[in-house]
Amino acid sequence: MDRSRINPLRRTLVLAGAGLALAPKLAFAQAKYPSRPVDFVVPWGAGGGADQLARRLGSLLEKELGTSFPILNIPGATGNTGMAKLLSSAPDGHSIGVFIADTLGTLAGGKGRYTLADLAPLGVMIRQPSGLFVKADAKWKNFGELLADAKKTELKVGITGFGGPDEMHVVKFNEQGAKFRPVPFAKPGERYASVLGGHADIVIEQAGDVKSFLDSKQMRPIVFFADQPQVGYEGIELANKFGVSLAISQFRAIVMRAGTDPKHLAAMSAAMDKAANSPEFKKYLADELAFADSYIPAARSGAFLAEQLALIEANMPKKS
Amino acid sequence: MEILQHLALGFGIVFTPLNFLVLVVGLVLGMLVAVLPGLTLVMGVVLALPFTYKMGVGPALILLTAMYVSGTYGGAITSILFRIPGEPMDVPLLWDGYEMTKRGEASLALGWSLVAALVGGLASAVVMVALAKPVAGLALAFSTPEFFAIVFFGLASVVTLSGASLVNSLVSLCLGLLIATVGVDSIYGAERFAFGQPFLLDGIEFLLVMVGAYGIGEVLTRMGAGFAGEGGEAGTGVARFRTSFPRLSQVLGMKATFARGTATGIVVGIVPGAGATVSAFVAYGLESQYGKNRAALGKGAPEGIVAAKSAATASVGGALVPLLAMGIPGSGATAIILAAFLLHGIQPGPQVFVSSPDLVYTVFATVFLGVVGMCILGFFAIRPLCKVLDAPEAIVSAFVVVFCFVGAFAARNNLSDLHVIAAFGVLGFLFERFGFPIAPLVLGTILGPLAETNFMTTMVSFDNDWTVFFTRPLSGGILALAAAGLAWPLAKAAFERLRASRSSHARPG
Repeated sequence: MDRSRINPLRRTLVLAGAGLALAPKLAFAQAKYPSRPVDFVVPWGAGGGADQLARRLGSLLEKELGTSFPILNIPGATGNTGMAKLLSSAPDGHSIGVFIADTLGTLAGGKGRYTLADLAPLGVMIRQPSGLFVKADAKWKNFGELLADAKKTELKVGITGFGGPDEMHVVKFNEQGAKFRPVPFAKPGERYASVLGGHADIVIEQAGDVKSFLDSKQMRPIVFFADQPQVGYEGIELANKFGVSLAISQFRAIVMRAGTDPKHLAAMSAAMDKAANSPEFKKYLADELAFADSYIPAARSGAFLAEQLALIEANMPKKS
Repeated sequence: MEILQHLALGFGIVFTPLNFLVLVVGLVLGMLVAVLPGLTLVMGVVLALPFTYKMGVGPALILLTAMYVSGTYGGAITSILFRIPGEPMDVPLLWDGYEMTKRGEASLALGWSLVAALVGGLASAVVMVALAKPVAGLALAFSTPEFFAIVFFGLASVVTLSGASLVNSLVSLCLGLLIATVGVDSIYGAERFAFGQPFLLDGIEFLLVMVGAYGIGEVLTRMGAGFAGEGGEAGTGVARFRTSFPRLSQVLGMKATFARGTATGIVVGIVPGAGATVSAFVAYGLESQYGKNRAALGKGAPEGIVAAKSAATASVGGALVPLLAMGIPGSGATAIILAAFLLHGIQPGPQVFVSSPDLVYTVFATVFLGVVGMCILGFFAIRPLCKVLDAPEAIVSAFVVVFCFVGAFAARNNLSDLHVIAAFGVLGFLFERFGFPIAPLVLGTILGPLAETNFMTTMVSFDNDWTVFFTRPLSGGILALAAAGLAWPLAKAAFERLRASRSSHARPG
């Protein structure tokens, strides 16, 4: 849901970062790393999920490495405006960025302006499963009932946009004869209002992002796309029970430019590791209703990203 | 009475010294960002957000809410005085406001805008406090067909903006809509009119069209006419009109306009996704179709200012209703205020009225005090600002150009944006020269994307069944109003032609 929590502001954040980005860069090598503040590129708006991750992580890394991590919010093009900025900065280890599932989706089929090989992952920090949520007073007691209904009558599902993981999960059930109609609502507010106002029957989201509606008993989850139960909602069924094993989780990873000095990569990954294992970070994961074992260290992150990309490519929905 | 107690508590919180200081800072900042055309109030609130991380949640909310409130006013000043709309919502203001300035009634126009902001702001604050919970449900009745209908109504007001020729204004509107479609479409991601240029792929920002066609275009027009010298006509006007406030009797005489504008602002503000801009356009459209003085609208009628401004300010209270009552942001700025809540670990929604009433009522109190404070600030700003008009026109124009360019550059640090602005400046000049109105062009670029997205989403949602726009009662009703507004001037013109031809037949006989 990083996608567009603050949709109208995409371009604005360039401004926030501009001043910092213009700060002179010292070109000469220094023994100490990091030798100056590390730019933390967030290719999404301030206040969104990616932004919140960067700010929490930034303060933990600051303690670890003794330098500041100024956040540069550079939204636009499903995260690719910010990625372009990251990839055009010097590979000196002083720029890191947030890379999320939706941005990965844009690389599918080699259609992006860069490939995974251009990125050096420092760790996957948080993973949240997507799920289907309905209005609290909806008539279906469980997903079995809902699915049976969907085979008889068309049900509308609020998604962020066509072509992304949201649509992929939903149309999987249509292969079994369900009549789900994905309807795009780019702004989160409109997406939530659509299901609360009865304009859509279901919305696909991550539990952490609709927590307020869950806590206030306005919405409830009905199924999760995951291979392990959703934290806090262990009683809710998983989609694989209904023949859909596709489970592209919404993840947020931290990356650097490929070609950065391996020593710098190692130092930053180690700091990432310490931060991820801190009690503060674990509490953040719990607050976000993310997988408790969300964190994937740098060494295994590359394989994870490649695997997710393959999953997305294999499930690309046909353009409707 | 529980509400009043809570509200008193909220006022108590805002009136502590530190919080009050934050309020004033927020009001001033909001007004400044709104004055600069490139820095919209939403951006201003975004830029302020990082500074609130270290604050307590109370001051953070006060700062952002105060910026939001006063951000809806600042742009009115530049719009009325220099024809530079600081915010898209200020575009309808210049249609009448700038005409008044040209007549030498700049301070009166600003006075009207202040009164409108005060009335609209306070009325919506009252509605927000009294009805936040029950009214919140109203927002949910609006789906994409209704939203499309509202935007269409705004577009239909083009008829009344036509001035001389309806055909010319339709040409202008269609050009605006065409410009709005350049780039990647928001539903299917199709590239349109990009011609392989990455720069066109990003689309043409309405900001550039708005600032270029109005701000730069006006300067070019004046240059073409040869600048007036020191103490030009606008300048002498300020000296002539000492009172900057309309008389009470005049205000009372316009109570229907105030009521329409305020009600429009509150209702449109509550709808998620629509904010001050749509409110202002729709209110202006309503006024031009149902107002008592509709014939004079667009030619410097205070009604135009009052309708648009009261609606824009009233939308603030409206937009905060779904945010606080349901956790759904109704506009760009409230999305940031939501983020501020979330960053402090508080989830707005029905439960927040129970769990943290102090915060909810702090926001309410901030809106009340913000509206009053903003009007006081505006009042003191009017006179010095009108003085600017005393300077030789050529010099003022030079500053206007710089102001437009700095604003546009600030938006996304993109040099090619400045070329676009210059191009639209020339287009604005040519439009003016050959009798094409600029207003529909700007209207089309601002409202076009909203209309398109909601139209397309409706098509996706309802299986390409276009009849839903007419069969759903709310959208059908709004579209009927728009159709009536479109048909009326045409019918009237036809009728008058008929009568004229009859009487011309009768006379010789």
